[in-house]
Amino acid sequence: MKAFRKAIERFVWPALVPLGLLAAWEVAVRALHIRSIILPPPSEIIEVMAARYDLILTHLWPSLYLTLAGFALSVAGGVAVAILITWSSALRKGFYPMIIVSQVVPKISIAPLFVVWFGTGTLSSLLLAFLIAFFPMTINSAMGFQSVDEDIHRMARTFMGSRWQIFWKIQLPHALPFIFSGMKISITLAIIGVIVSEFVASQEGIGYLIKLAGGLLDTPLMMAAITALSLSGLLLYWIIAEAERAAIYWQPASDWGAGGQG
Amino acid sequence: MKVAAAGALRDVDPGVPLLRIRGVRKVFNQLEAIRNISLEIGDGEFVSLLGPSGCGKSTLLMMIAGLIPPTSGEILVAGERVTGPRPDVGVVFQSPVLLPWRTVLDNVLFPVELLKKRRASYLDRAMELLKMAKLEDFANALPRELSGGMRQRAAICRALVHDPSTLLMDEPFSALDAITRDEMSVELLRIWQANRKTVVFVTHSIREAAFLSDRVLVMGRRPATLVEDVTIDLPRPRHIAMTEEENFNGYVRHLRRSIEASHEGVPQGH
Repeated sequence: MKAFRKAIERFVWPALVPLGLLAAWEVAVRALHIRSIILPPPSEIIEVMAARYDLILTHLWPSLYLTLAGFALSVAGGVAVAILITWSSALRKGFYPMIIVSQVVPKISIAPLFVVWFGTGTLSSLLLAFLIAFFPMTINSAMGFQSVDEDIHRMARTFMGSRWQIFWKIQLPHALPFIFSGMKISITLAIIGVIVSEFVASQEGIGYLIKLAGGLLDTPLMMAAITALSLSGLLLYWIIAEAERAAIYWQPASDWGAGGQG
Repeated sequence: MKVAAAGALRDVDPGVPLLRIRGVRKVFNQLEAIRNISLEIGDGEFVSLLGPSGCGKSTLLMMIAGLIPPTSGEILVAGERVTGPRPDVGVVFQSPVLLPWRTVLDNVLFPVELLKKRRASYLDRAMELLKMAKLEDFANALPRELSGGMRQRAAICRALVHDPSTLLMDEPFSALDAITRDEMSVELLRIWQANRKTVVFVTHSIREAAFLSDRVLVMGRRPATLVEDVTIDLPRPRHIAMTEEENFNGYVRHLRRSIEASHEGVPQGH
């Protein structure tokens, strides 16, 4: 009985609110006779998704593929740079201020420049996704490596731990929750990077499809594409959150998707 | 007082100094924290450094641990000058500083790993220590599943696992509640008597110092100096009930007066 109530609490209540909103949307659009070119009802969006899944998937795959590639690069690059600036105080003093300041630059605005430099193909999208996702990844990881309690450092030093041992056995596991927090931010940003790049100049991808449908005033198709993209983003985020839960076994279970720095 | 004979089971010789401190002085940013301290601690002795908060007793302990160098003077452990952390010294800090991702057993074995020794050959000793600390049922638990007192007991096991000759303890029970503190004191004495370590115990609790120690070294306020060296001649093993007896309270009164006297004529604060 208790498990049943827990299941209700965990799944039914959170699902109730969005379902209610969808129902209200459906009813409002029909009751107010809003034209589908302005706002199609959810039922029509689902219909379009089912009818034109071929077209949507054709454009979704390259976008997801680029998102994952850009994300993977940002994780590898971000963690590597974080390790370097943790390891060397000269590198830290040299690069860290620049990394922090570059946070202020709206990196989306660089998209047209990337088209000039790298063309309208996949390279531009990949690099923009990487660039946007890279900074939060670096900053989160660096924070993780460097926020080990001074007492823990002292403890390790009294047992004659080497710098290398302290890194592998203390700093790295300590940084894991921070790295996962960074990954959750970065996956979302990687998607944005790819989509914006496809808006600017591309002949394929879900961003291209959204723009194309907009140009044709095919609002139902546009919203079907946005929905497919959102669901993919949700899935990717969920995968990372689940991986985090499995990897950070020593932290008490928190609510789904809550930040991992506790 | 009948239990006195049982206290004599140590066969180490307190006459041989294991730890020598000669004319140690420490200056931080032109502020003198410790002024000319010299002392000797015998092999197997339990000695407390007692003084008010911020008097520099923890600084002295960290210098013995080799974590910070003295400005002048020298510290010798087993006849060797301390220049950095040593494998024959174990340290227990104010907080347990267990690694949250490691089980209790893996935390206890952490020094063995850092010292690059074979884990298998220390496994039995680790389990034995956990048993002594009444933690054997929690060997595979994570630190977050333990109470504050249990965590600090695990930290004591960790400091002892590589069988150091000296155990340095920096106010290890100060974060615990009064009842747990008393229990931990008794536990610590039990573990100490079974392991025959030299213990240097930093505390600001007069009762704790008197209850645990063979000798209490009273330290005065900043800059820290050694005010008095008091031998606590109470039988071992000691029990909490002894803290209500008159001779124990005599020591407590004596130590309190000694601390108060050290404040007189010394400008307080800064």
